[in-house]
Amino acid sequence: MQNFYELSQRSFLGVFRRPFYVRDIIEQMDYAGAGSFFIVFLVSLFIGMALSLQISTELSSLGLKMYTGKIVGISIIREIGPVAIALSFAGRVGSGMASEIGSMVLGHQVDMLRVFGIDPIKKLVIPRVLSSTIMLPLLTIIGDAVSLFGGYYISVFVSHQSGSFYWSQIRAIMGFQNIFSGIAKPFIFGFVIACISCYMGLATRGGARGLRQATTTAVVLSTIMIIITDFLLTRILFFVLGMQA
Amino acid sequence: MIELQDLRLSYNHHRVLDGINFKAHFYEKIAILGESGEGKTTILKLLLCLARPDGGRIIIDGRDITFLRESELLDSRKKFSIVFQDGALFDSLDVKENVAFCMREFSTLSEDEIENRTREFLRRVGIEEAIHLMPDELSGGMQRRAAIARSLAACEPEMMLYDEPTSGLDPITADNICNLINELSAGTPPGRRGLIIVTHDVEAAVRVAERFLYLKDGKIVFDGSLDALTHAGDPGLRKFIKGLLPR
Repeated sequence: MQNFYELSQRSFLGVFRRPFYVRDIIEQMDYAGAGSFFIVFLVSLFIGMALSLQISTELSSLGLKMYTGKIVGISIIREIGPVAIALSFAGRVGSGMASEIGSMVLGHQVDMLRVFGIDPIKKLVIPRVLSSTIMLPLLTIIGDAVSLFGGYYISVFVSHQSGSFYWSQIRAIMGFQNIFSGIAKPFIFGFVIACISCYMGLATRGGARGLRQATTTAVVLSTIMIIITDFLLTRILFFVLGMQA
Repeated sequence: MIELQDLRLSYNHHRVLDGINFKAHFYEKIAILGESGEGKTTILKLLLCLARPDGGRIIIDGRDITFLRESELLDSRKKFSIVFQDGALFDSLDVKENVAFCMREFSTLSEDEIENRTREFLRRVGIEEAIHLMPDELSGGMQRRAAIARSLAACEPEMMLYDEPTSGLDPITADNICNLINELSAGTPPGRRGLIIVTHDVEAAVRVAERFLYLKDGKIVFDGSLDALTHAGDPGLRKFIKGLLPR
């Protein structure tokens, strides 16, 4: 725990200190961001559609179907979008980080960096933490938009609601509180996923079995931490933004 | 001067090193022999402080480096260069980028200079034609050569450390690697010709080293010249080097 805390602290502070491995950061941003686009698109689209279907069905029995857009929008932007995309991100990018760094540990590549006088945290961890922290919020914005389009498709073509009313409901909930709440979370999730994954990668021992264990643990811990952090952040954001439960 | 004093190390409650003591000069050519799992590679890692001992001291040129912080180890690490068993090439970079790695990190050389120097190092180890290949496209022998070129390009070490350089190679390639190690050693100033080779390949050890250590049960049970090695009385050691003994 102490080692993980130290790595997280060094990763955070190291972002502001030389040397800056710009090439590695861009490479990692490409892997984490562009590489995750397709999975985020798919996950978000189907979550938006499924949510819209569920909500419009329930609301229609109460005669409140016209509020589908509002409920879908708030759910996606504030809660489901950031969490679902972070979970997908942990599965794809977090596992990739843990296995890549883990195989570098087992192949003595990390040792070689240390022999050459290069800090592995600077060279390997910080570019991943930075790219993750930047790209996850961007992916979340894209994913939220895709989910809302998925919700729109179901509302209009399956539930036969007015498309313009759906979007007017969405516009109505696009206030600072909701947008800030939806954007702030992915920054923290990105940092947490990258720190856990890099830590597990660097802690890899014991060949292929150790690598499997490190990768699995990275994804499992990231998943648990996303859920716990989400709850804590929601409580904090409610307090900070003056929202009532 | 390298000095290891009473080094002890355990992994998962298994005692790997149990009181290692030895002194060596940087110009010496030393082979550390022993069966697999006897802690040979661990000694190299300890010399570079890539692993920390449970007890004992590592002294390099009179300075106790045993528990120095990473940032304080640069000077002692610069005295060595290591070639790991599998080469430890960065597998996301091609051979050129691997060899040029430290030049890019630490120098302000132009792209042309880096290219020229990289080619020169690769020519020295005999694989210039592989400059644009990725590590997984290289044979085992070529990977070792590329790793040696990268180590040479990284710094001018006072001593080279080789971890099982001939392991897994066919006899001809292993022979070529030994020749390369000897050529590189002969081509450097006398004060920088030293090496430590960790191996269970006794023939390779005899080809490149002049002083031999034999590890058994976490201890150095033999330390001497080739002549002394062939006359050693320890039955385990005699069995280990039986290829060297007259029939």
